[in-house]
Amino acid sequence: MSLKDILSPLTVWRRTAEKPYTVIDPINDRPGAARYRGFHKNDMEACIGCGTCETICQNAAIDLVPVEGIETTNGDSGLRPQIDYGRCCWCALCVDICTTSSLTMSNEYIWVDTDPEVFRFVPGAENKPWDNSELGYSRAEGYQLLDPERVEMPELEPDTRLTSFIEMVQGYSAEQAKKEADRCVECGICMAACPAHMDIPGYIKAIRENDINGGLALMYQTNPFPASCGRICTHRCEEVCAINHTGDPIAIRWLKRYIADMADESDYQAITKTAEPERTEKVAIIGAGPGGLSAAYYLRLLGYQVTVFEAQPHGGGMLRYGIPEYRLPYDQLDKDIDLVASLGVEIKYNTRINGLKESNGPKESDGPGSDGGPAPSFEQLYQDYDAVFFSTGLPDPYTLGIQGEDHPRVISGISILEDVTAGKTPDLRKSVAVVGGGNVAMDAARTARRMGCEVTVLYRRREVDMPADEEEITEAKEEGVKFITQAIPVRIEDKPEAKGEQAAFVWGEAEMVDQGEDRRPKPVLQEDKIHTDLFDTVVPAIGQGSSLDFIPEDMAAKIGIIKYKIKVGLHGETGEPKIFAGGDISNRLKDAISAIADGHRAAKGIDRYLRENQSKKETS
Amino acid sequence: MNTSYQYSYTNIEELLEILVEKGFIAPATEQQHATVIGRRQVQSSDLAFVTVAPEAARHLILDLRDRFGFTHLVLLTAVDYIEEGKFLLTYLLHNYELHHDIGVQVPIGREAAEAGASMESIHDLWAQAGTYQRELKEMFGIDFPGSPRVDEPFILEGWDEVPPMRREFDTKQYSETTYFPRPGRSTNDPADYMRQKLYPKE
Ligand SMILES: Cc1cc2nc3c(=O)[nH]c(=O)nc-3n(C[C@H](O)[C@H](O)[C@H](O)COP(=O)(O)OP(=O)(O)OC[C@H]3O[C@@H](n4cnc5c(N)ncnc54)[C@H](O)[C@@H]3O)c2cc1C
Ligand code: SF4
Ligand code: SF4
Repeated sequence: MSLKDILSPLTVWRRTAEKPYTVIDPINDRPGAARYRGFHKNDMEACIGCGTCETICQNAAIDLVPVEGIETTNGDSGLRPQIDYGRCCWCALCVDICTTSSLTMSNEYIWVDTDPEVFRFVPGAENKPWDNSELGYSRAEGYQLLDPERVEMPELEPDTRLTSFIEMVQGYSAEQAKKEADRCVECGICMAACPAHMDIPGYIKAIRENDINGGLALMYQTNPFPASCGRICTHRCEEVCAINHTGDPIAIRWLKRYIADMADESDYQAITKTAEPERTEKVAIIGAGPGGLSAAYYLRLLGYQVTVFEAQPHGGGMLRYGIPEYRLPYDQLDKDIDLVASLGVEIKYNTRINGLKESNGPKESDGPGSDGGPAPSFEQLYQDYDAVFFSTGLPDPYTLGIQGEDHPRVISGISILEDVTAGKTPDLRKSVAVVGGGNVAMDAARTARRMGCEVTVLYRRREVDMPADEEEITEAKEEGVKFITQAIPVRIEDKPEAKGEQAAFVWGEAEMVDQGEDRRPKPVLQEDKIHTDLFDTVVPAIGQGSSLDFIPEDMAAKIGIIKYKIKVGLHGETGEPKIFAGGDISNRLKDAISAIADGHRAAKGIDRYLRENQSKKETS
Repeated sequence: MNTSYQYSYTNIEELLEILVEKGFIAPATEQQHATVIGRRQVQSSDLAFVTVAPEAARHLILDLRDRFGFTHLVLLTAVDYIEEGKFLLTYLLHNYELHHDIGVQVPIGREAAEAGASMESIHDLWAQAGTYQRELKEMFGIDFPGSPRVDEPFILEGWDEVPPMRREFDTKQYSETTYFPRPGRSTNDPADYMRQKLYPKE
């Protein structure tokens, strides 16, 4: 033993008198670092229950569960993530991916309990001590796993647009479409918002996997107008898209268009065919708009013998006679319609169903209407067919309800659009006032711009209140349409010097008067702020109403038509069991996709009705 | 001014110039992807990356240490570029005098785990490199022949799966099969749930 070994205990003993080098750290005071990843917090109001956190979790620690007090609404599944801390590895991938940034982590990590069940809970729903803690982990500023930016859509420049009716939106390339499709998290929150409940994440996935035909088949399950809707749909889905909470929503509409553009027309039939046996029942459909043709398509797929009666020389309804060609080219609409016809749906054009009780013309089987003979009456269809569906739309423009509206220089927006479709040149001249703030007003204004007119849109409320699509308003402005908002039409006068060749449009400035919470402010005319402007043409474009005169009165009463309005059941049922209706005449949203959804549901309703009829016959 | 080493430089851009001039690295290529040899990127005034071939790496690292003052090995790590069939090693070196960092990035063939991706060891340049290399062997299956204890388990005792940081390893499936689910768990698909709640009969 060396001397050092003998002495060293003494040096140790001496130390005992010194201040200790270690510090006492009480067990109950060990806060995590400021950005420590501890127990989760979730802002219950901000979370939309998209389940992206569940999908990304590599430990399968997250379940999406209903939570008391949280409703399922448009854009919110009503589910919330529940975390199993027996599996969580605190990697924070869920926090990094969360579409709404609602999910974060506190820096709290100490929690001792003898019951293992308590370590599985819904953060934010159970009042944990760390729910309000400021510290902990959240996604760092600028750090994004999700791509917030939409792939820009190539469009024609405004100057070029004004020279023709060529389609302005040019469509994605394969590379652009895939890049855009890659941004989708496949949550499916959008499906409920789509009136037809299209399988949006399904067809977006098909784009990612380059399976165009698979994508098309998926779209046709709920929508036989993909080429059209891919261009003009009101895309309610995009408003609720989970990515909308963190950046631009997925360009769902453009992706739909991409599939329709890429799919080979020769493959269409094979893609959409089903193996249903033929059925003998005949169904008559009035109106070859999206509502009527959608019903026709799904009924035909179920094997029914379907005949569509259409007053106009071509199909598509307002998609053709309302929406201008630069938004929806006719060949694209035809592509959708041709597929329906190719499945064996008979479409009789130039055949307006009339209200005559007795039609002394040839019977339906003789080919009414199209050969110049009188078209069948509603009654006749009712008698000759096993079921009737009508989706005749809203053709009659609303009037402004002001004095002097019968002035010769007043032309309705819808008639201008219809003329252009029919190849006629509407008599617009130079200065044009368009009254209204919806899509019809935008379409009429932009059409007039393309015909070389100077166009002013007058709308009674503020720009934010305009029912038109935001992008349509922007595009109209780009094209040089002037906007006067809070402008209330007062009357139309004929200035003696103008001799019926110009209309003096009298309008007044409106003040927006608050109507209390949840109600939009009301425009009130300020009597002392009245203006008079001379225009070559005044174009009312404030909406349209139905025209149901073709239905005889007693029948109308049975169906349940009250004051041009018609109430239908979920599957288009009317008061008369054999008659179904849908589309703009009955639904609230009045857009193409709602009419398509109505047609599809009515097809189901008619199928059920006819099958019940058949089994009744069989049993009696 | 860095004077104590053979090559002095003041800023990171200049460092890269010298490295090219003296032939330590190839001139920059057009391509910008991190796995392309010749790629270089100045991330900030004190951080740059260069990509070099495996054969050239050890030499460059040694030169950076002994002639340019990058005496500290901050870390050695890898990223799996499975689509390209490559791992990208990153040797991050620090210059204490100028407080500059340079990342030497080295793409190596990925190959199957058994056949073994492999790289020359630098444990003789920094002893702690041995520990990093042992970790890379375990996590990615990258071998560093001659590195001390490189075949011994690092933290995954008794691991007999694909090395877990290789991207073909399915983490989620592994957790699903290895750890039993607690009884009473169930989940819902948002789209299905919304259908039941909002439009069950359509
Ligand atoms: C200018 C304008 C722009 C629009 N823009 C958009 C848009 O961007 N996006 C969108 O989603 N929606 C838009 N819409 C709305 C959309 O066009 C309609 O919601 C949709 O067309 C409604 O379909 P439907 O089948 O109910 O009726 P319609 O499309 O109106 O079709 C009804 C059909 O029935 C025929 N018909 C009527 N009566 C008879 C009869 N007695 N006998 C035989 N046939 C008859 C008509 O000729 C017509 O073809 C727009 C509408 C207009 C007017
Ligand atoms: S990702 Fe975010 S928004 Fe979606 S369910 Fe999870 S916590 Fe809620
Ligand atoms: S489009 Fe948006 S809402 Fe729809 S599935 Fe994709 S991310 Fe979710």
